[in-house]
Amino acid sequence: MAKVLEGPAMELFNKWGIRTPRHVVISDTHQIDGLVQSNQWMRECKMVVKAHEAIGSRMKLGLVKVELDVDQAVAAAKEIMGRTIQGLTISQVIIAEMIPHTEEYYLAVKSLREGAEVLMAKFGGIEVEENWEKVTKTFVEVGETPTDEQLEKCAREAGFEGEMVDKIRKFAFRLFECYDNEDGQYMEINPLTINPADGKLVALDAVVLLDADARFRHPDWSFSFAPEFGRAYTEDEKQIMEIDSRVKGSVKFIEIPGGEVAMLPAGGGASVFYSDAVVALGGSLANYAEYSGDPPAWAVEALTDKICSLPGIKHIIVGGAIANFTDVKATFTGIIAGFRKAKEEGKMNGVKIWVRRGGPNEAIGLDYMRKLSDEGFDIQVFDRYTPLTDLVKFALKG
Amino acid sequence: MSIVANKDSRVVIMGGVAGVNAAKRMAEFSHLCGLEPNVTSFVYPPDAGKSVEIPFGSQFLSVPVYKTLTEATKEHPESNTALVYIGANRAYQGCMDALDNPNIKFVSMITEGVAEKDAKLLIRHSKKVGKLLNGPSAIGIMSAGECRLGVIGGEYNNLKLSKLHRQGSFGVITKSGGLSNEIMWMLSQFADGSTTTIGIGGDAFPCTDFVNFLEMFEKDQQTKAVVIVGEMGGDLEEKAAAWYAEKPRRIKLIGVVSGFCQESLPKGMKFGHAGAKEGQHGEGSARYKSDIMSKAGVIVPPTFGDLGPTIKQVYEDLKATGQIKEIDDIPPSQLPDLPRKVEEVIKAGDVQVQPLFKTTISDDRGEEPLYCGYPASELINKGYEIPHVIGLLWNKRLLNDKEAEVIRRIIMLSADHGPCVSGALGTIIAACAGIGLSQSVAAGLIMIGPRFGGAVTDASKYFNYGLVNYPNDIPGFLAHMKKNVGPVPGIGHRVKSLKNPDKRVEELKKCVKELGLRSPHLDYALEVERVTTTKKDNLILNVDGCIACVLTDLGFPADSLNGFFILARTIGMIGHWIDQRREGGRLIRLYNYLVNFAVPRRREVPDKGK
Repeated sequence: MAKVLEGPAMELFNKWGIRTPRHVVISDTHQIDGLVQSNQWMRECKMVVKAHEAIGSRMKLGLVKVELDVDQAVAAAKEIMGRTIQGLTISQVIIAEMIPHTEEYYLAVKSLREGAEVLMAKFGGIEVEENWEKVTKTFVEVGETPTDEQLEKCAREAGFEGEMVDKIRKFAFRLFECYDNEDGQYMEINPLTINPADGKLVALDAVVLLDADARFRHPDWSFSFAPEFGRAYTEDEKQIMEIDSRVKGSVKFIEIPGGEVAMLPAGGGASVFYSDAVVALGGSLANYAEYSGDPPAWAVEALTDKICSLPGIKHIIVGGAIANFTDVKATFTGIIAGFRKAKEEGKMNGVKIWVRRGGPNEAIGLDYMRKLSDEGFDIQVFDRYTPLTDLVKFALKG
Repeated sequence: MSIVANKDSRVVIMGGVAGVNAAKRMAEFSHLCGLEPNVTSFVYPPDAGKSVEIPFGSQFLSVPVYKTLTEATKEHPESNTALVYIGANRAYQGCMDALDNPNIKFVSMITEGVAEKDAKLLIRHSKKVGKLLNGPSAIGIMSAGECRLGVIGGEYNNLKLSKLHRQGSFGVITKSGGLSNEIMWMLSQFADGSTTTIGIGGDAFPCTDFVNFLEMFEKDQQTKAVVIVGEMGGDLEEKAAAWYAEKPRRIKLIGVVSGFCQESLPKGMKFGHAGAKEGQHGEGSARYKSDIMSKAGVIVPPTFGDLGPTIKQVYEDLKATGQIKEIDDIPPSQLPDLPRKVEEVIKAGDVQVQPLFKTTISDDRGEEPLYCGYPASELINKGYEIPHVIGLLWNKRLLNDKEAEVIRRIIMLSADHGPCVSGALGTIIAACAGIGLSQSVAAGLIMIGPRFGGAVTDASKYFNYGLVNYPNDIPGFLAHMKKNVGPVPGIGHRVKSLKNPDKRVEELKKCVKELGLRSPHLDYALEVERVTTTKKDNLILNVDGCIACVLTDLGFPADSLNGFFILARTIGMIGHWIDQRREGGRLIRLYNYLVNFAVPRRREVPDKGK
């Protein structure tokens, strides 16, 4: 799943005929005056100014300002831009038209194994979570589009009446088209409302999750995806993602500040069991990482470099199952190069390394690791006869 | 017994390099188990019409490549399984073709990074046509002792260690490819091994899930228990639990789920496979799944670390109730090995090979070429030059500076002799006909022979003969030559004469004298010249003869001497080719007036057969 920030999400909505408030995204405060000049609505409407970043609880953090006239909006944008929150510098601000409204509705499309579900509610905002059982749903098989009848029925069950049924049906159909044609995984409008200016439905917010694997057929996806865990990616995470996008196989890296046990395991499956083992024994994870699919040694070296650079770590777990085709010798060569570099930079003092692995060229790869102790590394090396996660026990329980 | 893949599986592999690699691994497995190879063909449009060499035991199979699956199954109608390695942006169509192909009964999609919508459409279509589609992001399927689909099982030695040459009693279904291999290994250590192992792939919507394969394992009498390895996210583990609880099942079920760490991590942090994401209200978490499985009667070890002992316990229980009989294993040393490569056998010293030929001058097996043992870079760094390299490679001797200087001058003097001589002309005609560099230079080089530039070797031979047999008897030598050979090679020039000496010869003679080199052959040849020029003015020692004497005096073998002219003149020929190309020389055709047409006049052809 890949999250799209509000600005590009609204562009996608507009592409499929879904109305949104007029808005501009700025990445440089010098742009504002020009934008005010060329957008008449900015001089006439009340506005909302928000940090355009993947940060949770923006309201609480003071990164959302409402009910602003043009001067206040410009001031708010300038104030929010460049602020540093949770180590992240705000680099974009979205300024949107504020639409006064009384009614709030909810509309969403969610991907399921067999197709998709269209969800509707005649209420919006936080009421949705509180009244989840009143949200109505209708199923659409993959490869099909919803019929007028089923959308109307769903709308009526949700409590819409009169001409609203037709309006909601049309709007829901457009949201479905957007979801279906843009390889969506989840799209949500909360709240949806009637614009008193023209009596038409308008999406006041846009939650858009797309399928990153479908990017190959969407040349117009000019935006980058935003992280989904309520903070922006760090520089090191971005660097590994960039490498991941270029190489055969994969390398993954997410930092968890404050942890003592650094993870450098192989395999999307085994890596999570290793993390589980650390947590189960009361250890604190310093990161999540994983390499798989026989990535080149230099990519594994880059990953190792980031992991050794995590502050305050006491252990590095170089775990892995018995690989099917990832070359143990080649990938370990990358890890060893990373370790040597880190040692030269003085990052390995007091850090214990724990290795367990099997697979193609395992004997040579493990032997290379064992020889690191001659170079002054504090390293313990285990082969396939030591069960997968036992080295976590050795590391944490002695 | 086994499920899905067995001794009757015949496989079409769709895709390029990764598919070929899988075919090699599959052939290794067939070799281990003493089975026929099971890959019938490849579908890979860029290589259609070719065939791929797959090592099988000590032989090489030739497996044909087709443009379409239809062609492949028409030529190999026994094919019943498709293994898909096509790139993520085209894999959907490949799988649709496979599902629609009447011969293909089972499809395994190895491709990773398949768009979710494509996977969902494939699920729908596979249901419609009533076929099973394993994947996407699957690692393949291993039916111990019977069939390997894909690279599952890893390298050859692991197949042996994990006892995959014969059936055990445990089925395996995992989302993760790497863990499928780990579980097979564990089963060989803690129990009696595996029947069939299936990687269903870690995507959000795998086309076939635990339940599809649990149904099949339940019917397979050889399988007594099944290990499933799940992870947080989705509801496949819950469905497996529901299936197990639905009615009494013959098979025992062991389940383990990853993702407990999620509980102590920042919310929304996504780990592992694409499908590994938690629901909004705790559904799909590792704990939720484990609890549901436990309640359904699935044996759930508290952590992955407890899985081995759990497997062992189940195995012991099944043995105690007589459902499993202990397998009397043959030691791994008695299982067939992969034939070693010739290089490995030679390295181990187990075989003697008669070499095809030997070399005594040059060796590039190390980091850089060695010329008669001297590294090229070291020669450069210590100030040696091209003449020294020639000395090493042609005469296996490191020349001294005086000798090198003579050779340097010989090459400089012989590098070119204008465009009109046979060699240059040959090159120029070819260059103007649009012929490439190496062929044009070759056209010039083939002119080198007894009449042009190729007299050096012969001149050396005969002057040496004279020096040995007629040391102080030039007339005797000349008489011998006249009687047995003809004109003396190295003597005589078309245009040069005593009055109009060849500057190149003068230069060489001067050089040898100045450097004070020994010159018995040169001195002898000059004696010969003194006699011949009294007979005719142009019977001088020519450049070929002079070079021959100088080089023979340096100790170069007679056979190598034409090489100096060939080497030097190649410089000129390359120059002529470049010159003609650069200047756009037109196609050369000889003018009629340059030919004496001494031919019969036109006449009538007589009627045939009269």
